[in-house]
Amino acid sequence: MSISPKQRLLDTLAKKRVDRPPVICTGGMMNAAIVEVMTTTGHTLPEAHFQADRMATLAGDIHDGTGFENLGIPFCMTVEAEVLGSEIDFGSLACEPKIGRELFGSVKEVRFRDVNTMLDSGRIREVAGAAGLLARTHPDQPVIGSLTGPVSTAASLVSPMQFLKELRKEREAAHRVMDYVSTFLVAFARALVDSGATAICIGDPTATGEILGPRMFDEYAVTYLNKIIDGIHSAGVPVLVHICGEMKAVKPSLPLLHSDAISTDAFVNLKLLKEEYPQITTMGNLSTILLESGDPEKVARRTETLVREGIDIISPACGLSTSTSLEAIRAMTGVVKER
Amino acid sequence: MADKEQAEYFKELSDAVLDMDEERTVTAAQDALDNSIDPYEAIQNGLSDGMARAGQLFEDEEYFIPELLMCSDAMYAGLDVLKPHLKATGESRGTVVIGVIEGDTHDIGKNMVRIMFETGGFHVIDLGRDVPPQRFVDTARESKADIIALSTLMTTTMDGMGTVVKLLNESDLRAGVKVMVGGGPISPGFAKRIGADGYAVNAAEAVKVARELVARDAVGAA
Repeated sequence: MSISPKQRLLDTLAKKRVDRPPVICTGGMMNAAIVEVMTTTGHTLPEAHFQADRMATLAGDIHDGTGFENLGIPFCMTVEAEVLGSEIDFGSLACEPKIGRELFGSVKEVRFRDVNTMLDSGRIREVAGAAGLLARTHPDQPVIGSLTGPVSTAASLVSPMQFLKELRKEREAAHRVMDYVSTFLVAFARALVDSGATAICIGDPTATGEILGPRMFDEYAVTYLNKIIDGIHSAGVPVLVHICGEMKAVKPSLPLLHSDAISTDAFVNLKLLKEEYPQITTMGNLSTILLESGDPEKVARRTETLVREGIDIISPACGLSTSTSLEAIRAMTGVVKER
Repeated sequence: MADKEQAEYFKELSDAVLDMDEERTVTAAQDALDNSIDPYEAIQNGLSDGMARAGQLFEDEEYFIPELLMCSDAMYAGLDVLKPHLKATGESRGTVVIGVIEGDTHDIGKNMVRIMFETGGFHVIDLGRDVPPQRFVDTARESKADIIALSTLMTTTMDGMGTVVKLLNESDLRAGVKVMVGGGPISPGFAKRIGADGYAVNAAEAVKVARELVARDAVGAA
């Protein structure tokens, strides 16, 4: 008898032998709330960003429609920035929420608030509530709670151009902000875990090698990702980390991350990465451009290659376009499950 | 004035920009003015040269975005000193309308490209982030732009780039306006598919591509 998708993912993350790789889509930055799912079911965004039951229903619809072997919430990267006080534009059915305006102009201006009281503001309790509902309705499926990573969250709180300069110019204040944001992110993750999340995925699109360079990637991204990962590990669940970009400049830093799996963009050759660092559990990295182009045969072929190359967890390589078709996604999930 | 002396002022300006030193750049700019160095040449051979060298280090992956931003802060600080003393505005290489396509609020890449365009002698109209496709075309019309430069970091907004080209094709402007695209998920193949005229992998290359596009156009018109 085959094991449940939840156990398969947990076993994979624990580096145990499994029958085949899980095929998942984590939510958050990499969510699959595509237009076709919503127009079919009538359970739509932006409404599902705000209420636990609607968020859980849409996550369930996505799971049913796409064949991804998990439930992934939330469907945006703005839950954290909203709570921290930045202005959010909640978008529409086809357009995801984004930061309207960052609250602060400099890391030196950031006012620090009590992290625990912040957990009762914004949409934190709704996302946690959705995790709870999903864990009850889908006991065999992993419920993945997605976080916006520390560098991206800090760059959503402080104007990003200024923030990036201040990583060099105002190191002490920058570290204080990163530490504050990371403490908050651990608390948010723990709220999700307490409600029943099986695993946490962190996506940090501002923390790329291309943007930060290797030195600052280590000083800020690795340090604070690890702080968050350690905090989540002590709550007893595994952590997946997605790193955007080509990663040439920061590849040697990857083994330093404490995460249980590393997901990458489509440019990265995961097979070679695995050969170089056999200790890394790899996740990815089907091109979302290929997925959006919609040719199911090409999608299936490329997915099959990833499976054959021994990629541990099959997943899209980046955020999905909301105009991606269900047919293309099913071609991806179907070919993994056939094996 | 001996040429060697002049070159030293240029070098100090260029080095101060490359070393990300705002105060030193301001001092060097003032020093150049005090010694009757032509401000236009000080900008071109000093400040812009420093940014071009910074751009090269960026391409070589020795400098990254924070470093390039700090160089540009130093460059603009020097520019503030020198600009009021320019006799006449230098010949512009052309007008560029730049922005991040609707749905995307990531503007780091776009800002870098704007800086490189400005230091490269282009007049730049920056529409900011989250810009609807039609506005690019409208602004290009109003400003008689030579180039529309589009950036995105998100695959979800790539469609909007194609829309800009489509709108431009439907207008009477297509012959005079080149479209160039770039950003994380964009590939040369994608640029070609949507009918863009140019693609650049990063900010330093963007200004080179823009120069080529404008030059090619001038040859075509001749």
